[in-house]
Amino acid sequence: MQLTNSKKNGKPVGRALAAATCALLGVQATDALAKDKPGEWDVETALLVYSEADDRVQAVEPVISATRNYDGDRKLNLKLIADTLTGASPSGATPSDVPQTFTQPSGNGSYDVTAGDAPLDDSFKDTRVALSTSWTAPLDRDYTYSVGAYGSREYDYLSTAVNGSLSRYLNNKNTTLTGGLSLGFDLVDPVGGAPTGLSRMPLKANKTGTQFDQEFADTRETDDTKTLVDALFGVTQVINRRTLMQFNYGVSYSSGYLTDPYKILSVIDDASGANFGGNLIGSDSNPVYLYENRPDTRIKHTLYWQTKYMLENGDVMDGSYRFMVDDWGITSHTVDLKYRWNMDKSYLEPHFRYYLQSEADFYKRYLTATEYNGGTPTLSDASADYRLGDLTGLTFGAKWGYHLDEDHELAIRAEYMIQTNDGDQGFGKLASQDLYPDTSAMWLQLSYSF
Amino acid sequence: MPDSTWFFDRRFRLAGTALALATLLAMSGCSDLGVKPWERDQLADPDMQLTVSGVDAGLDDHIYFSKEASSGGRGFGGGGCGCN
Amino acid sequence: MTTICVSAQDNPAKHPLPRITGKQRSWQGRFEAMASPCEILLDGIGRTDAEQLLFHAARETWRLERKFSRYVSGNPIDRINHSNGEPVTVDDELALMLDYAAQCYELSDGRFDITSGVLRRAWRFDGSDRLPEKDKTDALLNLVGWGNLNWQHPQLTLPEGMEIDFGGIGKEYAVDRVLLDLKRLLPEGSSVLVNFGGDLACSGPRTDDKAWIVGMENHRKLTDSSETLSLRGGALATSGDSHRYLLRDGVRYSHILDPRTGWPVPDAPHSVTVAAATCTLAGMLATFAMLQGANAEHFLKEQDVLFRVQRSWIQHSRV
Repeated sequence: MQLTNSKKNGKPVGRALAAATCALLGVQATDALAKDKPGEWDVETALLVYSEADDRVQAVEPVISATRNYDGDRKLNLKLIADTLTGASPSGATPSDVPQTFTQPSGNGSYDVTAGDAPLDDSFKDTRVALSTSWTAPLDRDYTYSVGAYGSREYDYLSTAVNGSLSRYLNNKNTTLTGGLSLGFDLVDPVGGAPTGLSRMPLKANKTGTQFDQEFADTRETDDTKTLVDALFGVTQVINRRTLMQFNYGVSYSSGYLTDPYKILSVIDDASGANFGGNLIGSDSNPVYLYENRPDTRIKHTLYWQTKYMLENGDVMDGSYRFMVDDWGITSHTVDLKYRWNMDKSYLEPHFRYYLQSEADFYKRYLTATEYNGGTPTLSDASADYRLGDLTGLTFGAKWGYHLDEDHELAIRAEYMIQTNDGDQGFGKLASQDLYPDTSAMWLQLSYSF
Repeated sequence: MPDSTWFFDRRFRLAGTALALATLLAMSGCSDLGVKPWERDQLADPDMQLTVSGVDAGLDDHIYFSKEASSGGRGFGGGGCGCN
Repeated sequence: MTTICVSAQDNPAKHPLPRITGKQRSWQGRFEAMASPCEILLDGIGRTDAEQLLFHAARETWRLERKFSRYVSGNPIDRINHSNGEPVTVDDELALMLDYAAQCYELSDGRFDITSGVLRRAWRFDGSDRLPEKDKTDALLNLVGWGNLNWQHPQLTLPEGMEIDFGGIGKEYAVDRVLLDLKRLLPEGSSVLVNFGGDLACSGPRTDDKAWIVGMENHRKLTDSSETLSLRGGALATSGDSHRYLLRDGVRYSHILDPRTGWPVPDAPHSVTVAAATCTLAGMLATFAMLQGANAEHFLKEQDVLFRVQRSWIQHSRV
C-alpha cells in the first residue's frame, strides 16, 4: 500500500480531481494552474542567436510575447519581435574559374568574388521590427472566435496582415472544427529600386559613370506590392485520454511582386570554343548576369497532420507531417518529431526535423547563352535562388527547461540544421565548380516565462 | 504565368486524394472517439497543447520561411518579411 | 428579522423556516440543513431580492438533502440501499455523483469509498474509549468496496448488504449547487456567500471589492471562532474531527476510517481546511489529505493549494 499518493501518472492528483469536479458541477473547466488566471499577464521572453557557416547570415532576435487573460476564457496577446541580420546569402550567380565583380543592389558600388568562391551578395545589415496582436473570445458555449493583426517594418520591406478564425466545438469538446482567413498586403521597396525581371545587371567596368547610371536607371521598375490571401480549415480531435490529433488543410494565394530583387542568374556561354562553360561576355566586355524573375501569382496547398501522445510516465511525444504542393511546381514534405522527457522540476526535449523539397518549374541554376538569346530571353521566369531548388534539410536540436515554480520557467534551446541542394551540374568549365554548397546553421535560444 | 494545366497535374490529384482521405478519417470516427469531461486531466496538461511554446514556434517558422520554399500548415500568426 | 415562507412540500424534513436579517444592501439568511447551520450572505441587493434568493437557497438545499440522505425512506439512495442486489436506474444528477465517486475512488487509490458507510455499525465516535472488536470490523469489511458494485450508466447494481453514502460529498456539493443557482439569479454588481457549517463558497468579493471575513474554528475551542480568513473568491472546506473521535490510552482515533482496513487512518490530523475554486473540490482535497494521515501536509503541498492542517497544538499551513 502506497503511503503517499499525491501523484497519478506523474501528475498531481489535484488536477484530475479538479477536472472531475467541474464535470460534476457542469461548469467550464477552469485551468488549475496559476497561469491563465484572469487578471494577470503571462509573459514569455526569449533571445535567439542564429549563425550560418562560412560568414553567411548571422542574426540576433529578441522576442517578447504577453498574454492577458480575462474572465470567461477571453484573452489578448501582444507580441513584439526585433531582428538584426548581418551577413550575406548566395546571390544565385555561379562560381567561376576567374574572379567576378558584381554591382551592389543600390547601384553605388561593386563587390568582388574570388575565383572558385560562391558568390554571396554583398554584406548587408538589416533590422526588422514586427508587432502582432490577437484577441480570442467565446461567442457562446459552442463557438470561439479569434481576430488578429500583424505589422512589420524593415528598411526595404513593409508587411501588414489581418486574420480571423472561428472554431466550433462538437462531441463534448472532443472535436473542434476551425476555419480561418488571413489577408496580407506587403510593400516591397528594395534598395536601388526593384530591377526589371530578366534584365541585365549593369556593371561599372569598361564604361563611363554616366553610361553606367543610364544603364542602371533603365533596369528599374517602380516599387511593388504583394497581396496574400490564406485560408485554413482544421479539425482537432481528442482520440483518447492520452492522444490528441490535428488535421489542417490550407490554401494560400499570393499575387504581385513575388521576385527577390537581390537575386541574379549567371549566363553561361554554351558556344563551343575556349569559353565553353564560362561566363558569357557581353558587348561591353563584361560577364552577363540577369536579375531573376518569378511569376506574379502563386497558389499553395498544404496538408498538415500533428499528433500528441502522453506516455504512462508523463513524457510527451509530438509528431507532425506537412505536405505542400504549389503551382510553381514545388512539392515538399516535412516531418517533425519531438520527445519531451519530463523530470521532477525540469524537462529535456530532443527534436528532429526532416525536410524534402523538389525544385520549382522555373528554377535554373544558370541560364545558357542560347536561353539569353542576346538580350531577349526565351524564358519568362527564371530563378537561381537555391531555396527554390531540390533541397533536403535535416535539423537536430534539444531544449532544456527548468520550472522555477508553477509560473516561472527558464529554458535553453539549441538547434543545428544542415541543408543540401542538388540539380543541374553544368557543363564545360562550369562542371568543375561546386554549384551546390551545403548550408549549415546553428541557433541558440534562451527563454524566460513568468 | 503558371501552367494552365496544373489542375490535371499528378501531384494535385494526389493532393486531392490525400485531402479527401484525411477529411474522411477525421470525420468518420469523430463521434466515437473522445473522452468524458472528467477524463481530460492529462489533455489539460500544458505539455499536451498542440503548440507548447508560441515563441519557439514563431522563431523556427521564421527561420524555415527564410530558408525554404514552404511555410505555414499549423495556423496563422506569422507575417511577411523581406527574407524570402 | 423576517421569516420566509416555504411550503411543507418543499420542506419535507420540517426544518424551522428560514430567517433573514440585515439592512439596506447587506443581508444574512439562515436555515438548517444536513445537520448544520446554513448561512447565505448577500451583498449589494435589496430586501425583496434577498428574500427571494434565500427562498431559492433553502428550497434547493432541502431538495438535495432529501435526495442524497440515507435517512429518507423512498428516496433514490434508500431504494438503492434496499435493492437486494437488483439493478436500480438512477437519474442524471445521481449518475454524475456516482461518476464522481468512481473518479475519487480511483484517484485516492481506494481510500475514498462511498460504500464504507456500513463501518459505522462498528464505530461510535462519542469521545469515549470504547474501540470495537477486530472481527466485527473485519466482518463488515466484506460489505465494503466500490469494486464490488456494478455502475454502468444508467444502472447501479449493489450486492446485498452493501450501502452507498454520499455524506462525504453531499454538503460541499450542495454549497456549490446553491451558489451556482444564486449566481444566475443575482442582479449585476451584487455578490453572495454560501456557508453550510463551515463549508463555504462565494461568487466573488463583496461590493466595493471588500473581502468576506470568515471565522475559522479552532478545535480546542469548540464554540469560539477565534481566527478569521479573508475570502475574495473561490471556496473553503474543512474536514475535521472536533466533535467525533475516540480517545483511548492517550491515542486519538479520528472518525476518518480507511475502507481498506476498517479502522481509523493512523495519525490523521485534527482538521484540514483547503481553499479551492469550488467547495466540492476543496472538500475532496481536504478529505484526501485526512486519508493520507501523517502525509496530509506533504500531499497538500504537492497539489499547490492553500491549506491549513491542525494537529493538536501544532498547526501547519500554507496560506
